[in-house]
Amino acid sequence: MIKLIEKIEGEAKLNFNFKDNKIDFVDIKFMSTRNIENILRGKSPLDALVINPRVCGICGHAHLIATVGALEDCYDDLKISNKAKTIRELTLNFELIQNHFKWFYLTMLPLFGHKQQVLKATYPSQLMAKAIALFGGQYPHTSYAIVGGVVCEITEMDKIKLQHLITETIKFVEDNLVKSENFSVCKNIDNVFKMEGDLPNLLRQIKEEKLLERGKSYDRFIAFGANSYFKKGKSLKTRVSHAISLNYVKESEIPSSFAKNVSYKEKYYEVGPLSRAMINKIPLVIDAHRKYGDSILSRILARVCEISQLLEHSKKLIQALDLSEPSFIEPPVDISQLNASGCSAVEAARGTLIHKVEIENGVIKNYEIITPTQWNLSGGTKDKQGVSQKAMIGLSDIKTAELVFKSFDVCSVCTTH
Amino acid sequence: MKKTRVLWLSAISCNGNTHSFLNYPYLEQFLSDFEFIYHPVLESDYSLEDITACGIACDILLIEGAISSEFQRADVAITQIIESYAQEVKKIVTVGTCATFGGIFGENDNVTGLHFDKEKRTDTFEHYFDKTISISGCPIHPEVLVNTLYAIKKELLISVDKFLRPKEYFAYTVHNGCTRNEYFEYKIDNHKFGTLEGCMFYEHGCQAPYTQGSCNKILWNEVNSKTRAGLPCMGCTEPTFPKQNLFHTKKNMGIPQNLPVGVAKRTYLTLAGITKAFTIERLEKKLFDD
Amino acid sequence: MIDKKQLKKEQIIQSALELFAAKGFYNTTIPDIALAVKMSVGNMYNYFTSKDVLAKEIIKYISVYLGQKLREINEEDISTKEKTRKIVEIYFKIASLKPEMIDYFLRIYLSNREVFKDGCEGMICVNEFVTEIMIYFEEGVKCGDLREQDFFSAFGLFMGYLGGMVFLKGENILPRELDAYIDDISHNIYKALSV
Repeated sequence: MIKLIEKIEGEAKLNFNFKDNKIDFVDIKFMSTRNIENILRGKSPLDALVINPRVCGICGHAHLIATVGALEDCYDDLKISNKAKTIRELTLNFELIQNHFKWFYLTMLPLFGHKQQVLKATYPSQLMAKAIALFGGQYPHTSYAIVGGVVCEITEMDKIKLQHLITETIKFVEDNLVKSENFSVCKNIDNVFKMEGDLPNLLRQIKEEKLLERGKSYDRFIAFGANSYFKKGKSLKTRVSHAISLNYVKESEIPSSFAKNVSYKEKYYEVGPLSRAMINKIPLVIDAHRKYGDSILSRILARVCEISQLLEHSKKLIQALDLSEPSFIEPPVDISQLNASGCSAVEAARGTLIHKVEIENGVIKNYEIITPTQWNLSGGTKDKQGVSQKAMIGLSDIKTAELVFKSFDVCSVCTTH
Repeated sequence: MKKTRVLWLSAISCNGNTHSFLNYPYLEQFLSDFEFIYHPVLESDYSLEDITACGIACDILLIEGAISSEFQRADVAITQIIESYAQEVKKIVTVGTCATFGGIFGENDNVTGLHFDKEKRTDTFEHYFDKTISISGCPIHPEVLVNTLYAIKKELLISVDKFLRPKEYFAYTVHNGCTRNEYFEYKIDNHKFGTLEGCMFYEHGCQAPYTQGSCNKILWNEVNSKTRAGLPCMGCTEPTFPKQNLFHTKKNMGIPQNLPVGVAKRTYLTLAGITKAFTIERLEKKLFDD
Repeated sequence: MIDKKQLKKEQIIQSALELFAAKGFYNTTIPDIALAVKMSVGNMYNYFTSKDVLAKEIIKYISVYLGQKLREINEEDISTKEKTRKIVEIYFKIASLKPEMIDYFLRIYLSNREVFKDGCEGMICVNEFVTEIMIYFEEGVKCGDLREQDFFSAFGLFMGYLGGMVFLKGENILPRELDAYIDDISHNIYKALSV
């Protein structure tokens, strides 16, 4: 039976095959493509900084940061100040946070039968958007990170304003999501079940509705976008290894869908907050994973957990910002003189995002984008199922399957770039 | 008062306008006056299949994203969905530059805005030209969209420019209100990225003096604008978006090819020649002395 | 009345130009100029309050005059190559018919910057003229005839060349009349500036 899954920044068509009243195989199909990679061909490399954020309205900033990284990778001797690196990291954190709020309140809660709480999604995400705009001028769709640094200069007064925006967001979390000051240091999932707030309420509902074990997949995680907080690595049932290389990432066509498959050493991996938490060994998430595996519960917990962690980490980053450093250092040669190629990986809200660029005589010859949703939704065959496909196997109803599917925080527009 | 029923229909888009709209600070008020019969993110009474299957009563049709006859939603051609609702609604609003002019996705073949392919009029939906308002911008400014929707609800007369954009928001240039204005006025042309000082018009491609919009009048996210931050205006409200070489000012023998809108070349050069003759120490220095 | 006063002003400027050319700027006094226009020194001051003020008015007068001529050329619907020739032609024509004008520009305005530092900063007093040169360049590049380069490298080539020729003529070094060089010089300039 075919079901159109909506409100995932677009749609996807899921064709459910049942065997003995249980889902046996799900074919995932995206219906369109927007040819961003074609649009980029022949353009000035810097124009990619303007075009690529427009891949996606909710995670476009990650596309900007990935683009600037790929372009900078084309240089051998480019200098970027720590200040610029930190500012980029901060704005990317803010984008992740706003995304997670929207996902939790606009997508997840309604799937559990609750009325959509629009303002609970928009109030904190607007605070985060303001924080991005303070550096980038606006959100969505700024291009403020450029080859050599960032365009903005900030002052101590800006830092104060930023801190207030973060404090206000933390307050929102403590007043609504998890009504406890200890959440960010909590190590035991059992304690979270006892807390108050929208997250503990949801976790309890998952328990009551016997969904604790739902949505398990390969228990294989990967993340490439290292920064001062996230670590690069892969995790296989809690065994973490940090020695991974982009060289083994492969993208392949799927005849039936506009989305392309992505694998690492021929295997499908899950990306996103749960992957990052597993690789970063966040105690609370590790504890939940030990008890409930790579289930929807762990995915939801990891995503909400990331809000608190990134807010706390961002606070530290702001404190450590050395304003005497330059925001921008002129590249040694203009990009229009380059013949080179580069690639970069960043952690977007939904997981690892990879950009690759090839510059010939100063213009873009080739551009390739691999998005997080491609990782999670890679559509395999019955014998070699993708991560989200596997997570839906054995479920007996489509409603739960949709819940599992959306627990990956699917982004259709990114996938169909 | 009865809620105004709005259909938010996405065509070929990135959902950037959807998310920019969610940044509107007084959404609670808005949602008590308007009801989405469909929205890409917000809950609605109808599914996409309901929307495409039959005509649901609706007052305003919002179109986000560029249009191509090949593009489908729920297996129905977008052009067909637009046609069926366009007849019924009081007003159509193209939300964003893609829906208005084609924008970024208009770079693909046979992909255009509702009434315009860049600057050129298209004829597919010509019969709805008079009931359309364009809110261009990549993305739209949430306040510009929301206030326009209220003006439609109140049946106010909305004065528009030749691209159907409300003059109240698009008669200004993005340059109006930029904190870097003085550097432009006095032709201080040594802008460096990463600084509070300087104007991006001379070297770094800023299109603000010839781009129409309210970015520096009604700030973004209530705090800033791209040009204030130090990022050149990319001209995203204009039919020509995206131009090429966006971080570079096209100049002919040192003279910018594109000049402030409505200012003759001779006028501009005369004024520039005069101001360039003077050194204004305050503007040559850093804003804050250490 | 205003026209009459303006006419008188231009008469004074013309006489001053001739005197400056004949006797030199510093050797010419206000009484000399008053005498040449048959006017009392007192009355003369009603028109120009000092010699420095007069000096500045003269350069503006020349700039407006040359600017007007160039503007007419710029507004013609002709190729950049033809425009180049016409600019050279008009410049040499003025240098022949009104040698004192170009002479003033080259020998007084460019050589006595201290006189012009206050009120004639940068190119303010030659704005009309420079603006037209800019428009000629800008349009030349835009239509693909001229090569994109820095304004001053093109301006220096153009004006330095023409100024140099007029200078040589003034020093009686040129064997032939300026007119005889128009073809070659326009050709050289266009070749140097074109793509």
